[in-house]
Amino acid sequence: MDVDSFLRDPLSRRRFFRMSGVSVAGGSAVFLAACGDDTKSPTASLGPDESDEADVEILNSALDLELMAVAAYKAGAAKLTGSALRAGKLFLEQEQEHADGLASAIKDAGGKPNRAKAAYDFPELSSQTDVLRFAVDLENTAIAAYIDALPKLGKGDLRATAAAIVANEAEHVAVLLGALGEQQVPDAFVVGKAA
Amino acid sequence: MARERILIADGDADTAQIAEYEHDRRELIRRGLGLGGAVVAAASSIPLLLSVRNAFAASSGDVEILQSAITLEGIAVLAYGVAINSGLLSGDFTKVARRFRDHEQEHADALTTALTDLGGTPPAKPEIKDIDGVVKGIGTLKSQGDVANFAIELEMAAVAAYYEAHRKLTDAKLLQAGASIMANEAQHLVVLRQTVKRAAVPNAFETGEQ
Repeated sequence: MDVDSFLRDPLSRRRFFRMSGVSVAGGSAVFLAACGDDTKSPTASLGPDESDEADVEILNSALDLELMAVAAYKAGAAKLTGSALRAGKLFLEQEQEHADGLASAIKDAGGKPNRAKAAYDFPELSSQTDVLRFAVDLENTAIAAYIDALPKLGKGDLRATAAAIVANEAEHVAVLLGALGEQQVPDAFVVGKAA
Repeated sequence: MARERILIADGDADTAQIAEYEHDRRELIRRGLGLGGAVVAAASSIPLLLSVRNAFAASSGDVEILQSAITLEGIAVLAYGVAINSGLLSGDFTKVARRFRDHEQEHADALTTALTDLGGTPPAKPEIKDIDGVVKGIGTLKSQGDVANFAIELEMAAVAAYYEAHRKLTDAKLLQAGASIMANEAQHLVVLRQTVKRAAVPNAFETGEQ
């Protein structure tokens, strides 16, 4: 499938992320109108062990996305040149740093980190523009997933780290949009795009 | 403890000087003084903002954190206003600064709604002199590069404050709003850093620290 059809068709996007082992609850990133209602962190009533288990599951979902992003930047690099290639390489390294950080956090919480898939069924990336647009989509999916997961994380340090990763993915989006000649900071609230 | 903001000329940055400055700043934060010990003595009209980072870190509840965040966003709106009217900016950069000022205002408005929903009282509106409580020297900017570097420091302080807030906030929707605002400030940083040819995305974890 080409990138255009992939980006246009919500069903194929969803199928792709599901096939890639990414199980992210979508939708709840749209929250601003309800900002400040009485939803409380669901982890508040959990004991420490349950909280650790819940964290491991959430962190492994995030790890799946990071590993896929690493694979995507590797796959896309062949079509990139110049400053886009330099950005792609840097972002690949940074996604790997996120993956490494998540894997340690999973181990610290007594869990077993997921591994990368042997292969990902990416859409056909036939030009630099294709790669950049696909990368924007992946980054936005990760942002939505992290924002969805944030309140479910039981530990303050993990929430802060997740927020720092969201901010970094958002920076990637700004650079990628710039490379595409588009508005780099389109919205005052960065909410990503649910899978 | 006189601490001057380091202005970095377009292109060439004195990395040793920056490293030293960053070291000092980290030391201060570690000791709980936050950005600029001198600011504390200067008796800001907004006690909550004695130190942005410290105010967030020491805040015990969501209401207090929201009040600090609203003040910080208000200060960012004022600072971009000063920049826009400085006569130092190109047409393109003026558009960028206006856009970013509007974003900061949107953050302040959303946070104020969240605060009043929680039964909290909005903080007093900050004044131009309060900008010094976050980053010093807005009155001494002499070029577009100075303005961009000043804005970078301001946005970094905001990112650091939201980063710290994630350890403290308990309301799920506030956590999500905080992350989406922090991510927007990080995108501002990308554009500002590109303006002065600094590395656009220097760290895999954007915590507001260099």
